[in-house]
Amino acid sequence: MQKGLKLTDILVTIIIALIFGVIYKIWGPLYGLISTFGLQAEQLIYGMWFIAATVAFLIIRKPGVAVLAEVAAAHGEFIFGGEWGVTTLIFGLGQGIAAEIVFAAFGYKRYNVLVVSLAGIASGLASIGIDFYYGYIGDLAVWNLLLLVGFRLAGSVMIAGIFAYLIVRTLEKTGVTSLVRPASNQDFKALE
Amino acid sequence: MRLDFSYKQTWLHQINPSFKFILIVILFIHILFIHNINVMINYMAAAFILYVAFTGHPWKRLLIISIPFVLLFVTSSASMIFFGQGENTWLKWGLVHITEESFLRGLHLGFRGIIFATLGVVFSLTTRPVYLFYSFMQQLKLKPKYAYSFMAAFRLIPIMIEELQILSYALKVRGVQHQKGVAGFFKKLQSYSIPLLSQSIRRAHRIAVAMEAKHFSATTKRTFYYQIGFSKFDILFVMYFAVVIPASYLLAIHFPYFPVTDVRFQ
Repeated sequence: MQKGLKLTDILVTIIIALIFGVIYKIWGPLYGLISTFGLQAEQLIYGMWFIAATVAFLIIRKPGVAVLAEVAAAHGEFIFGGEWGVTTLIFGLGQGIAAEIVFAAFGYKRYNVLVVSLAGIASGLASIGIDFYYGYIGDLAVWNLLLLVGFRLAGSVMIAGIFAYLIVRTLEKTGVTSLVRPASNQDFKALE
Repeated sequence: MRLDFSYKQTWLHQINPSFKFILIVILFIHILFIHNINVMINYMAAAFILYVAFTGHPWKRLLIISIPFVLLFVTSSASMIFFGQGENTWLKWGLVHITEESFLRGLHLGFRGIIFATLGVVFSLTTRPVYLFYSFMQQLKLKPKYAYSFMAAFRLIPIMIEELQILSYALKVRGVQHQKGVAGFFKKLQSYSIPLLSQSIRRAHRIAVAMEAKHFSATTKRTFYYQIGFSKFDILFVMYFAVVIPASYLLAIHFPYFPVTDVRFQ
């Protein structure tokens, strides 16, 4: 048994991540458009920027995949000329590590909607942490800051948590996930 | 549709990609510690000079690429201008409370966003991804399995975009109509992401199997088709910032645009 991620795992993770990288890039202008409504409404869709980590982890279910996916997706967005430039990479790294910590805390053994939502929240908190330095959000009026945090975390649960879970559950029906997942105990039992 | 994406090679293209990457990350961290809006404006001008004069792309394309910058400026600054804390009130209207401090802080954030965007786009426009990953392998000792995975994945993006196009035609031909609201959004997300993801995973898996069958190995001792080294342009790039950064501080001290040196709320 080889330790760490195999070439297949890495390639699949990065391809998934780059698909989301393209989406991340498109998400920039959309985010900008929604922000013109005011009142932090754009924060509700911020969670899309955390989805690569959770989807990739749910598909491949191995340690290290969440960080790799989020960094790769951010890198993709950066190379496609995303509006936030290098910022994306720093946020991507922070968000990926945060999601990874949640998955690690459950021993990489839980793949239910609760764990994924927690990972989404962790990514959201990481992004808020970076925003304190990057966006001076601590200097917003208190009610506005609470709105921002609330909306962003709600969006994280909705998109990076629930949507990611539902997408992967549908994807399982196509049978592709069995190509990349490690064999589970159930598989071994089925052989006996 | 054929996209013409020709450009002239400039000195920015000649810089070692890893070096350029690391320097831009360092600049990012430095910019986070700039709280003086006057410095930020000068810094932005310096970034614009690189963007306009030295990327080697035609000005029309540069203009199109910079359209989202306007939106970015609005996103980064609007909430801070309208809802930021401050004492010197200019306008109070319902929840909106614009003060001198929040206004300047908002502008500051907008400028900061634009500097990052400009530097990021300068990097993307002047760096070929293949060279970037070859350089990562040679200078930063990135493991080949990661670098080649990235390069293989980049090659697949045009195929994915074509698939996306076909998918949207197929949905249209079959008369699929999307509802509004969260459920509709999810349906739309699902109808695009499932076929795209499943096809891509299958393709990635096939490529990985093929690479391993042809003895792609994880050994770090290997030869490289592109040898990427350093040149005098790396020094030029450092010199550029070594000149413009002190200059933007000096200008900010002697010729300030706004009489404020720290935009944070005291």
